[in-house]
Amino acid sequence: MERKLNFLLALFISLLVVPAHAQSKFTISGTIKDKKTGEGLIGAIIKVADKPSLGMASNEYGFYSLTLPEGTYKFLVNYLSYKEQEITVTLNKSIKQDIFMDALTAELNEITVSSKANTITSAQMGMDKLNIKDINMLPVLFGEKDVLKTIQLLPGVKSAGEGNSGFYVRGGAADQNLILLDEAVVYNPSHLLGFFSTFNSDAIKDITIYKGTAPAQYGGRLSSALDIKMNDGNDQDYHVSGGIGLISSKLNVEGPIVKDKGSFLVTGRRTYADVFLKLSNDTNIKKSSLYFYDLNAKLNYKLGKKDRLYLSGYFGKDDLGLGSLFGIDWGNATGTLRWNHLFSDKLFSNTSLIFSDYNYNINFNASSLSIKIHSEIRDWNFKEELEYFANPRNSIRFGVSSIYHTITPGNITGSGIISSTQPDNHTWENAIHATNRWKATDKLNIDYGIRLSSFTVLGGTNMYELTTDGKIKDTLKYASGEFVKTYINPEPRISASYVLNEVSSIKGGYTRNTQSLHLISNSTTSNPTDKWVASNNIIKPEISDQVSLGYVRSLKNDQFEFSVETYYKKMQNKIDYRDGADVLSNAAIEPELLFGQGRAYGLEFLFRKKAGKFTGWVSYTLARTEIQIDGVNSNQWYAARQDRTHDLSVVGIYQLSKKWTLSADFVYYTGNAVSFPSGKYIVDNQTRFLYTERNGYRMPAYHRLDIGATRQLTHRKRFSSELSLSIYNAYGRENAYVITFQDDPNDKSKTQALQTSLFRWVPSISYNFKF
Amino acid sequence: MKNNINIRFLAFIAILVSFSSCQKVISIDLNSSDPRYIVEGNITDQPGPYHVKITKSVNFDQSNVFPAVTGASVIITDTVAGVIDTLTESAAGDYTTSKLQGTPGHFYTLTIKSNNKVITSYGLMPQPISLDSMYAEPSPFGGDPVVVPVFTDPETQGNYYQFIDYRNDTPNTEIFILDDKFVNGQTNRQPLQGRGGDDGKLKPGDHVRVDLLCIDSAVYKYYATLDQLTNSNSATPANPLSNFTGGALGYFSVHTVSTKSLIIR
Repeated sequence: MERKLNFLLALFISLLVVPAHAQSKFTISGTIKDKKTGEGLIGAIIKVADKPSLGMASNEYGFYSLTLPEGTYKFLVNYLSYKEQEITVTLNKSIKQDIFMDALTAELNEITVSSKANTITSAQMGMDKLNIKDINMLPVLFGEKDVLKTIQLLPGVKSAGEGNSGFYVRGGAADQNLILLDEAVVYNPSHLLGFFSTFNSDAIKDITIYKGTAPAQYGGRLSSALDIKMNDGNDQDYHVSGGIGLISSKLNVEGPIVKDKGSFLVTGRRTYADVFLKLSNDTNIKKSSLYFYDLNAKLNYKLGKKDRLYLSGYFGKDDLGLGSLFGIDWGNATGTLRWNHLFSDKLFSNTSLIFSDYNYNINFNASSLSIKIHSEIRDWNFKEELEYFANPRNSIRFGVSSIYHTITPGNITGSGIISSTQPDNHTWENAIHATNRWKATDKLNIDYGIRLSSFTVLGGTNMYELTTDGKIKDTLKYASGEFVKTYINPEPRISASYVLNEVSSIKGGYTRNTQSLHLISNSTTSNPTDKWVASNNIIKPEISDQVSLGYVRSLKNDQFEFSVETYYKKMQNKIDYRDGADVLSNAAIEPELLFGQGRAYGLEFLFRKKAGKFTGWVSYTLARTEIQIDGVNSNQWYAARQDRTHDLSVVGIYQLSKKWTLSADFVYYTGNAVSFPSGKYIVDNQTRFLYTERNGYRMPAYHRLDIGATRQLTHRKRFSSELSLSIYNAYGRENAYVITFQDDPNDKSKTQALQTSLFRWVPSISYNFKF
Repeated sequence: MKNNINIRFLAFIAILVSFSSCQKVISIDLNSSDPRYIVEGNITDQPGPYHVKITKSVNFDQSNVFPAVTGASVIITDTVAGVIDTLTESAAGDYTTSKLQGTPGHFYTLTIKSNNKVITSYGLMPQPISLDSMYAEPSPFGGDPVVVPVFTDPETQGNYYQFIDYRNDTPNTEIFILDDKFVNGQTNRQPLQGRGGDDGKLKPGDHVRVDLLCIDSAVYKYYATLDQLTNSNSATPANPLSNFTGGALGYFSVHTVSTKSLIIR
């Protein structure tokens, strides 16, 4: 096996420029970990002290490998909010060295991070990492710490609406984000119609969002990749932590299975809003159920020096119901089994078997009618990825991925109605990818790669031939398992950075992405019943091409960072609906769809203060997103719903004292593009509204300030606790959630516009503990 | 009653979740629009005369006075019986038939000419389906009385129904439509749930009349898209699909009617 791989590698490397050295070379490799918890640190930087261009970032498992000429080296190791580590090693043979880092405590936080940021030299563009500590400090709706709401504060990432965890990246739709939890796709990352995300921040180690050129191992979505990694679990000590909040409580238990060898982690969260419903006087509300829960679990175990297994899972569910009359539940389940193997100290392998599932069930039981609707999307995914740390100037990552998708359309069964069940839709998505991270010179870094993706539509379901006006002309039958059509798309990506001087660099990149699964939704809110539809003979994969340019500068000894990026994105095969489309039934969707193109461009600024008592950032985006679809808006370009000219976020966290931390965030954005009526008429003695152009109007501008404070109550070695207070929408701005039009109830001869606002001054309190 | 039960329920939940929501009237500067022809035409299997009403749309900020289109030429033809009826304008914008008798299975065409504009439509009157009975029962949502129109859908697929209920002679503005996609050949026992506009609940002593209309698929589509526009929070609101050529909005409905009444006890 190893020999074969080495042969392949040799082939690959022969294509690269490898400087010839007579001197013998040795490799230092190992894992960079948190000293207290044993958690591998992702993206920690290790470099040679007097030659910083010789260095690398640890991979997703904390693994690093540097191959250098024989000699004695002083290495500096850095990681955000960790103390810098210095290690001196004499390399006269290849060695294994795990590195343990100390997390900065609140007191130590004042120390300035002295290292030059990796952001200057890295060729990676449009990438942001979130600090879990920041997420925990920021005030949020109902005090529910939320990963997805925090990333909305970054430039180029826009909130899908008031209190909503959905987000739009650089003009893309909410379904164009690849959201991964330990490599498994999470198809519906929201609870309760989008007000909360499925990610319990207690279980999360690392959050990285790629807004532009994602590395080639990510694929299948047009706009972004949001890679969320769960904690592995403390392999040193047992810990219990938890929190009691306004609407939910959570508990996290972790500890070693065998110290230094393996650990486990279990995290759960459940809301109890339904308890309050019982207090209501309204019998309908009293009988209602309304809750969600999340369960994350992970195990990892070292099988030896070269092998490690990880098993992680997520299970979450929402349940809404009204007595025995009506119920809807939906949820995601994911599972990931991974095997890390070191073929050599330079060749790291990870093999994954991944399961993802999203389903919903609707039950309706009345005297004469009982209906059950069930829909599901399920993936089985096999992935093999290899990283070869050839030399300090080249590291190569390549792999294959194969996903078998099964979509069960909304099958309807019951009594009192005719059952309507459609066969499952099967598709097979494959990709091979390779990326070389190349330090061409000390100043020039280039990441280039390609992803070759294929999407095979399998037979077994009805396919259609349509007339030019979208009517079904013919129904095509294919045998189950038959290859109906295969779309093959090469997706090249390249990005480069050129270091201008010690503190600044310019960057540029190009990427192509394709997407073969599409979310069909025609509502302003995220509905659990939104439908995933796979590409087929009529629905083609969506394609986007994006170019971006950027400038990064570090200021005041890296206490501050300033960056600006601009992008232009072109999208093909964009999907929209015909006017009056019925996307809810399980009848053929193809006649209801229209296809067209899109374009998005913008300018993003980020100014961040990274160290000191006061940290935070200001992000501003100026952007435009437009769509042109034959059959919509008289075939003219129109503003996409998520087109927002201005989008500003200001975030600040201030460490007032050892006990008190204050935080605040302010957001302002241009209202969404919407369709409002431009006239009215009468039919059946009712005033009806006349619509003219698509998205020709704007919602009022949105702005909001949230404030929060956290007080450390006890801080001892074995027990610590804190109390968090926050106010969402502190100055009570009435932001428009929807605007509706109606006859004036006081004067039927007039019509009026009615604005509905949600959440004003929502206070919350939560108590968190750890022992 | 409708396929979108779940969406309605979700809307209810959304309201529940947003207990801290508030509403206010705001002023929005809406564009003006070119006046559009609005047509409302009905032919039934009941004795005539039948009416075709033609008005025009106005701008949003104008008062609810919709100008009648007068002096139009309106002709309805029964192509099976070979009857051509030129309608007379009995009131401003209200055109009335003089000799037509709506008959199931007959095909009707409508032609309107006004100011060099030609608007056409057509419809086939479906075979009548009668209400067998009607009763009131407590609603599963909340227990207030609701009425259940009982009728049996025929074996062949492709029937479309509209219900209009009147409480003490005031029509319910809620749109009730049904197609037989999921209930083909079955006996309907679904109640008419919801009383749009009319904010009272049905009370003992109320007189309720229900008209069951057998409509064609184009009129069904008109009401389905109108219902979608008015009741769901659509991201892309658009005008309901009319069955007119020539850019007019509204409908030309050729339908049968069956009626039952009861008094709520």
